[in-house]
Amino acid sequence: MHGHLPLDEFLVQIRGFLGSYYVALATMNAIAALYLWQTGKSKIWLRVGPIELSSSLACLAASGLFLLVSPIAYSVDPSLVDVISIPKPLRAGLDKAMTPVSYSIGTFFVLAVLFVGRRWFSRPEIAWTGLNLSLLLMGFSMTDQNFASVVTKPDNVPIVGLVFLLGFFTWLATRRAVLNDERAARGEPPLEALDSEKVLVWPDLVYTELICMVALTALMLLWAIGLQAPLEEPASAMKTPNPSKAPWYFLGLQEMLVYYDPWMAGVVLPVTVIGGLMAIPYLDFNKLGNGYYTITQRRFAYVTFQFGFLVLWITLIVMGTFLRGPNWNFFGFYETWDAHKVEALNNVDLSQHFWISLLNRPMPKAPENSDLLVKIVYVVFRELPGIALIAGYFTVLPPLLVIFPPFSALFRNMYLKMGFLRYMVMSNLLLTMALLPIKMVLRWTINLKYFIAIPEYLLNF
Amino acid sequence: MADKKKLSVEEMLAACRKQDGGGGAGATAPQAQEDPSSQVTPPTESTPTKATKATPAAAAKPADRAKMSVAEMLAAARGERSESAKPTSPAVPARSEKEAGAVEKAVVAKGAEKAAAVKTAKPAAPPVGSPSTKSPGTLDTASILSAVRSAAKPGPVSKSEAPARTKPVEEKSKKIVVPPMPEKPAYAVARPMSTAATTETRRGFFASVNAKIVGSSLALGFASLTVTHILWVLGLARFMFPNILTEPPTRFKVGFPDVLGLGQVDERFKAQFGVWIVKAEYEGQPQIFAIKSVCTHLGCTPNWLEAEQKFKCPCHGSGFYKDGVNFEGPAPRPLERYAIRISDDGQLEVDKSRVFHEELGQWKDISSFVPV
Repeated sequence: MHGHLPLDEFLVQIRGFLGSYYVALATMNAIAALYLWQTGKSKIWLRVGPIELSSSLACLAASGLFLLVSPIAYSVDPSLVDVISIPKPLRAGLDKAMTPVSYSIGTFFVLAVLFVGRRWFSRPEIAWTGLNLSLLLMGFSMTDQNFASVVTKPDNVPIVGLVFLLGFFTWLATRRAVLNDERAARGEPPLEALDSEKVLVWPDLVYTELICMVALTALMLLWAIGLQAPLEEPASAMKTPNPSKAPWYFLGLQEMLVYYDPWMAGVVLPVTVIGGLMAIPYLDFNKLGNGYYTITQRRFAYVTFQFGFLVLWITLIVMGTFLRGPNWNFFGFYETWDAHKVEALNNVDLSQHFWISLLNRPMPKAPENSDLLVKIVYVVFRELPGIALIAGYFTVLPPLLVIFPPFSALFRNMYLKMGFLRYMVMSNLLLTMALLPIKMVLRWTINLKYFIAIPEYLLNF
Repeated sequence: MADKKKLSVEEMLAACRKQDGGGGAGATAPQAQEDPSSQVTPPTESTPTKATKATPAAAAKPADRAKMSVAEMLAAARGERSESAKPTSPAVPARSEKEAGAVEKAVVAKGAEKAAAVKTAKPAAPPVGSPSTKSPGTLDTASILSAVRSAAKPGPVSKSEAPARTKPVEEKSKKIVVPPMPEKPAYAVARPMSTAATTETRRGFFASVNAKIVGSSLALGFASLTVTHILWVLGLARFMFPNILTEPPTRFKVGFPDVLGLGQVDERFKAQFGVWIVKAEYEGQPQIFAIKSVCTHLGCTPNWLEAEQKFKCPCHGSGFYKDGVNFEGPAPRPLERYAIRISDDGQLEVDKSRVFHEELGQWKDISSFVPV
């Protein structure tokens, strides 16, 4: 299944999709150009003599470019197709550079840059350019067999859609928030306050719903006809598919399971996520931002939520979908999924690091045939460094955050407004969330397995 | 149709009146006048019992029942709903006294007079109270409706509204005199139960027979319910012990021990029994053992990778050495062993009913391996 066709055969297979893909992009840009031109919203960027370089003209140029690329994709000539693909050395380099660490840090960095420069990035023309570039990048990648086979898998198609859909909605919210923040800086009311006109349920809302219903049904029908249902062989308790993946919306959770004990990642942390979300109304003392988009007025809430959602959930779903292959090994976007890829990962518990590496002595162990109580005492003694570390993390760190910079200004204000109990609940939820990336980084760097490892009593953390 | 859609409440009321022929116009005005003021004051008189609430309705009904207009009915209904049926303007209590003449109603009226006096002294009342202070003749529909509309909105009370609504109750609760309950009418007085013994009817006969056998029909019902449930539970318990087990036996033979070479993992029994037979060194001692092919992380089935000499789980990437000890990925403990022994005919026999955990020190148990 995974990219072992001869190149010309593969290109024949993909050309129908790729050619119409570029035609669709060209149409999209042409419609945008027409819209800008007709509504007079076109902005003039540059004036060279009699020629005005406007946004409408730029869209038209992009449309023409895509229209040129389309026949190249239809032609099955490998040398021509090379022109519309990412160069092979670059692909190999990207695969080599792609590790869990670089992927996570890279996505985090990109999102941080987008956040800091949101005023510029959320401008419609910039966002449109970004969309076109990402679509073009995807088209250029589709000529790679490995990439194409992962992306066009019926299971993964919705996730490709999700990436773009999520990008759109995040852009929309950011754009409105940026506009509102600018208005607030000028002392004007938010955009949502101006739009208080009421519309009728009948016919306005009902008609809209009807049209959406029909359109969605049509889309579902086409989807069901066009893509085979991702059914697999009959289930067997003795045979697990390789790779065995959760439904796409749980891939973030599955990624979490790699770093934590099943009890922790499957039960405690998800429940904490739900509980934490439910606790927000009781922890939030910021009365601003009610009923309108804003970022500057709710900076902490916004950043925390987007970190949890985009970084800890969406990028993990993308990683689980596109980058995790057989045996849950990590593969680059253009890498062949080799079931025999060897990755030496000798994971070591914190207690082993402490007793054996640091103190250079055997781990404490209860003598043979000792009582349960004695055994428990020995186990606790063995895991004391991890227990102390985690306990300190949750109890000592919150006060330290209030006292010492760099975050003391933020957390002191919170502490004063929330009181001790609410502050501790909030900071503990925050630290629990932060524990996931911390554990991931520690796993990748020092091969840390568990902070507290008590396999005897099924307690691992 | 379009015109009808736009009809306002006022217009509809006016149309209703016209249809009524204006017969009740005289009676409507005072009744309606009483209503808006009572609408305004719901919180003040929320304590009185149902009996007092009924008074104005009772007062209005005898007046001219036949001629009651829609507005009147609405007013009466509102008066009941808002739990403030007490008349509040001085003119109305007089009327109700005259008509009903009951002592308790006078008490109510007095209490209401007090309440009304307090209310008019309050600055909050004026905009609402204005229609009620007018004489009945000058009242028009618009003013009544405006008074109704300005009254507290129905539905759930928000936090911000709550204090405004509840405060007056606390202030005036002491002043309200709770009138005595009216006497129960004859039809509402409970009759003594007629037993089967006293009146010999067919139903009574069966009831008495039933009572003699099982106590009562209720007891019979619950008894049969209990019996049914007990039978259900027993059936469920029986279900746990089927006559035939279709699953493979937990005790099975896997061949002679010398078939395996040292360091070999036998995968032949994985598909049927979920077990690997391994002949390998564990802690420097060569032995044969049966490894359960279930990952200790989340229960997927790992694969034996001959080239890498390890068990690898496809779900989250846990890896195990040939002896079953975990070394990579999230698996918290080594794979489990099944009991294994050499049976009488010299073949290896695996017993899946017993498992051995390394982290509990059970791999030292002699049943968990066969020494080579």
